[in-house]
Amino acid sequence: MNISGLSFNALPPIDLPFRFFICAPLFMIACAFIIFFFGETLWLSRWHPGMLALTHGFTLGFLTLVMMGALLQLLPVIGGIGIARPRLIATVSHSLYVFGVIALISSFLTANPWLTQSALVLLSLAFIFYLSAVVWVLVKKMSQGDSINAFRLAIAAFIAALVLGVMLLASRGGLTYSFGFVDKHFTDIHAMLGLVGWASLLIIGVSFQVLPMFHVAPNMPQYIRKYLPISLGLLLLGFAFYGSDFMALIFIAHAIYALSLLYVINQRKRKVPDTSIKYWQLAAISLLVLNVLYFLPDSFYLVSDNPLSLLLPDKTMLLTAIFIYFNLLSVIQAMLLKILPFLSYTHLQQRCLTDFSAMQHIPHMHEFLNKQHGLILYCLHILSGLTLVAVMIKPSLYLALSLLVFVEFTWLLMLMVRCMHLYFSVNQKINLSNNS
Amino acid sequence: MSSIPEYMTAKHRECDEFFSEAESAVAEQNWTLALSKWQQFASELTEHLAQEEDVLFPQFEQATGMTSGPTQVMRMEHQQMRALVQDLDNALAAKAKDEYLGLSETLMVMMQQHNMKEEMMLYPMMAQHLTDGEQLVEGFKSSQVA
Repeated sequence: MNISGLSFNALPPIDLPFRFFICAPLFMIACAFIIFFFGETLWLSRWHPGMLALTHGFTLGFLTLVMMGALLQLLPVIGGIGIARPRLIATVSHSLYVFGVIALISSFLTANPWLTQSALVLLSLAFIFYLSAVVWVLVKKMSQGDSINAFRLAIAAFIAALVLGVMLLASRGGLTYSFGFVDKHFTDIHAMLGLVGWASLLIIGVSFQVLPMFHVAPNMPQYIRKYLPISLGLLLLGFAFYGSDFMALIFIAHAIYALSLLYVINQRKRKVPDTSIKYWQLAAISLLVLNVLYFLPDSFYLVSDNPLSLLLPDKTMLLTAIFIYFNLLSVIQAMLLKILPFLSYTHLQQRCLTDFSAMQHIPHMHEFLNKQHGLILYCLHILSGLTLVAVMIKPSLYLALSLLVFVEFTWLLMLMVRCMHLYFSVNQKINLSNNS
Repeated sequence: MSSIPEYMTAKHRECDEFFSEAESAVAEQNWTLALSKWQQFASELTEHLAQEEDVLFPQFEQATGMTSGPTQVMRMEHQQMRALVQDLDNALAAKAKDEYLGLSETLMVMMQQHNMKEEMMLYPMMAQHLTDGEQLVEGFKSSQVA
């Protein structure tokens, strides 16, 4: 064993993950404005330019941005090694990425080829910087473990999703020939790789680690930890090459995961009320609901003698919306509620290793993020999620959705600002204590 | 016979369980139960830290020559954990539920981070460098029975 390669304090500087986190709710606030300005027409089709802007605002602007920031932090905690030259990599990739996502969303909204080309260049460069650093760690240095293997698969799927995304964008920007009739299939694969391969697999990997660690829960059954991530990876490959037959199996795999998640949560030893646990439960239940909705016969959504048929929305859009909002966004918020105070505390605590007396200045976790404030966020999230489903059935409710998304993510932004402000003011006190 | 990583990791889990039971009792304001579980946790923790600081760390430092490396960081973190345990003692004595729960969440985070470092790096390194690891563990077990 090479002892010299191991670092006990490999945490990247705190402002690096913070800058990823703080921009994420801003993109959701921008999404609230998109919902407001497009009105009812936005909900007519998944191909509507506003809908493309909205889905990429949710997935790249919020989900991926938070996950990129969290990975910077999770790799040293879970695997013992962080990325090399974190400040350079995070600063460059974050700046390129944020402007890239702004350009991408604007390009969907305006169909301006210059913006499309800018998005293409900025996002490609951002991902080359970020992923080359992360891949280097995951391939070369990282210790083994079920979570790390799920991360590896997630990153592989992410790269595949990005390559397809870049190709689709290039064809949209007129830089290459259009793929014509296969565009829809490529878009489906791109979406599945992003939502299931990248987001879901990463979350599954995180859950293997976080639930036993912070909630004193039993480990997920070994066959789930060992075989679920790789099975999902193979099912995605099947989906890419053989199409929708594999979709049913992907849904079932998520149902199995959801049941084991609920079992593990139920068996946890640490029963103290916790909003993060509520979010995980909400995510698991939404996966089960999605299975019911998926396996309802298509005729339920189409047949005219079904009295509900006129009211029911496009099945793909409905399932995707529930998956993103109630599953992915819920887990991301659960993670944020833990990781913001956790990071703040851990960094300050590490600073006090050599100046023990400065420990007295550090607030406890609930002072960084008030429990009631977290609970309010959870209630707002359920409310806006239900309104999202309602808008798909009755698009005239779009104003309520726009308002609720705005309120939910402004609230999240305020929680972040409050936590970061407290961190920096305590940090200042420790500086003064060190100097005195 | 158990190895150092097996035995010490199992002790971490035992501590977690007493800790969680004490915390749940505080959340329900069952102060008698909370105190008894908390005392069990505190004595398990004290014994565990002593086994590391008095036996395992010095032996590891001697075997590897690393006196200012990981064991030093672990000792400093133990010191911080003891300070938090003291704060929790005070919150429990004052029956200050919210203060206790804020501090217990904090200690939980600190312990879990600390445990990960030990379980993923330090204990495997010890198993590799300390040839009499299993005898040391047997010694811990017999001193516990006594």
